[in-house]
Amino acid sequence: MRLVPRETDFSGWLRSPRVAARVGVWLGVCFGVAFITGLISHVAYEPPGWLTFPTRPVSLYRITQGTHVVAGTMAVPLLLVKLWVVYPKLFAKVPWGDVRRLVVHGLERASIAALVAAAIFQLVTGLANSSQWYPWGSFSFRDMHYAVAWVAIGSLALHVAVKLRIARAALASDVNSGDPVGGVPDVEAPADSSHGLTRRGLLRTTWVAAGLAGLSTAGISVPWLRDVSIFGIRSGDGPQGVPINQTAVEARVTAAASKASYRLEIVNGATRRRLSRADLEAMPQRTEVLPIACVEGWSASAEWGGVRLRDLLAVVGAPSESVVAFVSLEEDGAFNTSELPAQFSDDPLTLIALRLNGADLSIDHGYPCRLIAPARPGVFQTKWLSRIEVVA
Amino acid sequence: MRIVQVVLGGLGLAAIAFGLWTLRAVDLSDLVEASLWLAGGVLAHDLLVTPVTLAAAWVAWRVLPRYARGPVAAGFVVLGSLTLMAIPVLGRFGAIPSDPSLLDRDYRAGWLVLAGLVAVGVLLGSVVMRRREVR
Repeated sequence: MRLVPRETDFSGWLRSPRVAARVGVWLGVCFGVAFITGLISHVAYEPPGWLTFPTRPVSLYRITQGTHVVAGTMAVPLLLVKLWVVYPKLFAKVPWGDVRRLVVHGLERASIAALVAAAIFQLVTGLANSSQWYPWGSFSFRDMHYAVAWVAIGSLALHVAVKLRIARAALASDVNSGDPVGGVPDVEAPADSSHGLTRRGLLRTTWVAAGLAGLSTAGISVPWLRDVSIFGIRSGDGPQGVPINQTAVEARVTAAASKASYRLEIVNGATRRRLSRADLEAMPQRTEVLPIACVEGWSASAEWGGVRLRDLLAVVGAPSESVVAFVSLEEDGAFNTSELPAQFSDDPLTLIALRLNGADLSIDHGYPCRLIAPARPGVFQTKWLSRIEVVA
Repeated sequence: MRIVQVVLGGLGLAAIAFGLWTLRAVDLSDLVEASLWLAGGVLAHDLLVTPVTLAAAWVAWRVLPRYARGPVAAGFVVLGSLTLMAIPVLGRFGAIPSDPSLLDRDYRAGWLVLAGLVAVGVLLGSVVMRRREVR
């Protein structure tokens, strides 16, 4: 008995280029959507100088990041079925005797290896990160997920380029046909399911699995789907009706945030003001409905009350369209500071929030005060503010 | 079509090169670790997920009556892929004790409901297939 099978050992009508191409189209759509929405998230995190991230719609990041996570989740069944269909190719005969064909064969295998490795890596790290699970040791999720996204989309484009002829022929022909497509042999498949799953049956099952995968998660950003999203990382509920990403205990700010001597420092060059929470409450109050939307894909809309950032910046004579740095009481942590681009600091909806859904901010939501701006990733909505400084 | 292939292939290579270039400042140890994860994913799939699936299919093909093969295979695709997808929440690996709003669902109960629905679907499908066979 051979331990390693041959490509020809795999039989059945389901492992066909006609099935692979049809699943591949939707897998490509999911990866394309995840890639584009991922780029948007990347730009929101690290805006390049030449690009101004828009402040409207206020739900922009909520929509793009929710879509990103759902597209990646839906890709899981699609990728598994696609890889199962083409699995025998792993054992394809290597043309050892012919150097030219050996090189072509080797290059194609290398590009497929890059594609499969990158695709699995993106889905595994993405799903883990979405549930705030970081099973890897030291590498930065953001650096790697971003770099491998380019490798995945690049090797996908390369794969489509190599397979274009076969894929087009496969898609254009009847799904049950046994005619060779683009030089690849195929077998006639039964149209009725009395012998087991048909090609159409497998395709429909795959669409159902992808749809269920999406539904089981989408409720993290689509409120009316919450009840069916059995695998959603958050139900959308939490203290004051809004989930929490980082608690005061984790950030170790409980003592500093509860002190009566708390003051918010506002700095513009040599001009400094120190305001107590009572001072902030005495300023004109605004109420805005804005979402909090995180990289994990979850989001929730809420009614925030507080002082317009513009009004606060006017206190220290900052010009409009200032770039503003926010410093948290949290002493360490990757996101204890954030920098707000000019278009957001100038936006009338951007608040230094004191209240959430009609009550004072709870300490886990950022008491004494926090930043809330439209269309921004949640980690930049700095909580437990200690200092606001005009930097440019 | 040739032109499309060449342009698409060129863009693909450029994208791969750009992705690798973004890692130029990353520590070697992090790159090694990420490479292990990249390779590990492929190995876990090719040497574990697919062989287990193949073995299950081999057994099912011999054990199941003909009318049940299709429905069981379909049920396996749905439940198997969604279970793999749900590992991070089913295991609650990212849970933080001080944050009850994270991973705040009963995921195992959700999985049981899904498994129950799939089982009902497989049963109904098998009954329909059997009736067709008898006729």
